[in-house]
Amino acid sequence: MIDIALPAIVLFLIINLIAGMLRVYRGPTLADRMLAALLFSTTTVAALLVLAEWMQLPSLRNVALLIVMLASILSLAFVGLPAGREEAADEQ
Amino acid sequence: MIGLALDLLIIVSLIGLAIQSINAASLFRGILHFVVLGLAMSLAWARLDAPDLAMAEAAIGAGVTGALMMIAYRRLIEIQPDQESSLRPPPSRLAVPIALAAGALVGVIGLAAIQAEPMPALAGTAVLENLGSTGLGNPITGVLLLFRGFDTLLEITVLLAALLSAQAVTRQVDLDQSLTTQDPDTPLVGALLAIVVPLTVLVSVHLLKAGGQETGGAFQAGAVLAACGVLLVLTGRLGASRQYSPLVNTGLLVGLLSFILIGLAPLLWGQPLLALPGLWAIYWIESAMMISIALTLVLLFAGAGSLKRRDHG
Amino acid sequence: MTIADSIALILLLAGCAFYLAGTIGLLRFPDVYCRLHALAKADNTGLCLICVGLAILSADWQVAAILALVWLVGLLAATVSAHLIARHAHSAGRVPARSGPSRR
Repeated sequence: MIDIALPAIVLFLIINLIAGMLRVYRGPTLADRMLAALLFSTTTVAALLVLAEWMQLPSLRNVALLIVMLASILSLAFVGLPAGREEAADEQ
Repeated sequence: MIGLALDLLIIVSLIGLAIQSINAASLFRGILHFVVLGLAMSLAWARLDAPDLAMAEAAIGAGVTGALMMIAYRRLIEIQPDQESSLRPPPSRLAVPIALAAGALVGVIGLAAIQAEPMPALAGTAVLENLGSTGLGNPITGVLLLFRGFDTLLEITVLLAALLSAQAVTRQVDLDQSLTTQDPDTPLVGALLAIVVPLTVLVSVHLLKAGGQETGGAFQAGAVLAACGVLLVLTGRLGASRQYSPLVNTGLLVGLLSFILIGLAPLLWGQPLLALPGLWAIYWIESAMMISIALTLVLLFAGAGSLKRRDHG
Repeated sequence: MTIADSIALILLLAGCAFYLAGTIGLLRFPDVYCRLHALAKADNTGLCLICVGLAILSADWQVAAILALVWLVGLLAATVSAHLIARHAHSAGRVPARSGPSRR
């Protein structure tokens, strides 16, 4: 039972992730698109943790820890983009 | 069954993300797709039973390349404020034929690999058989430092060469201002650094030490340490500098030099080249390489020859 | 299936439900601040539930400690990221949406 449930949960999380991609397309602002990236890192972390349990690969937990530890770097780089002219920068 | 569905979903999203990251409607979306591609890639490596690669992908992808592209995008906007559309190169007519040819090539190789008879003696089994005598538990570290040490030596040389060539083409602009992404006194950033910086150092040393027995090693540890440096550069705690710093240069060279010296030493007593004298040599080289890899990546990110500390309050 | 397993399964499924809620919020809410609000809270609750479920499933203190660390660092990262993104949106002149069915 658990052996079926764990991969099903990973599958569900990845579908979640793909659904979140819609926000990258719709925008409308850069911040909206960036938000989607935030969703991806939390979801990937959960998926890796479940995979670690299912595949019995304890090192995957360290990979998950790395991703959450470094997730804020992208946001820190993002805030450097000049504010106020984002529509011009992205609407084409 | 459900595992297969999972793998297929990962494959399809990898291909979709790869196409989107080079073909998105704007550069910014392309960058986000590339970051997500890295995350999906680490899931794929995890499914392929390769936690070492998943870890390297996670550390480099989440820690260095995403931020690097974001900074490059910002610089592009600054250079051409009113012509964002020209930032995207026009689509090439060769793209589709080349993609199809490359896909066909991968398909043919994959089919051939599936149909080929499994070889009776693979290099992998040879490594696993001989690993016991070395005292290492992680076959990947064994391959990197003992069985194919020369490759690793060349890799670390390539990394140094990459840094030198990047510095040769870097323009002498004032990088101090443009790399710091916000005013350093933004609330919460100090708290983030106070927790994440010690944690990254701790984790990278753990990965280095664990690398002998389980997943980890100099490359992963170096990438994590580099991500810590990137974090400090982005928040304005470390700045690019043009001054010669003996400490930084020693750090850059220590990996390559210790590998070469410890690798040459066995020649003195008649052993073959790169026959490492024991576990201590492996750990020494790994630690030195970790420092060099981390420093090289941070300097590549900062586009500078040296770093200096900047104080804020 | 033991009792501990079924409790873990229930927690994991509840975690998935929170992830689903976060994604729906990301797609349906009217402006960037609402979406941030949905994501930062729902997803981290989901992560917490999944971590607790996995800790029960593994029945190992060491694993539980790593999972707790992952969750705490995740909370920190989400808090700071959400704050930074909201700050960026605010300085870009985004006005929070008032009530009303103005969705995009």
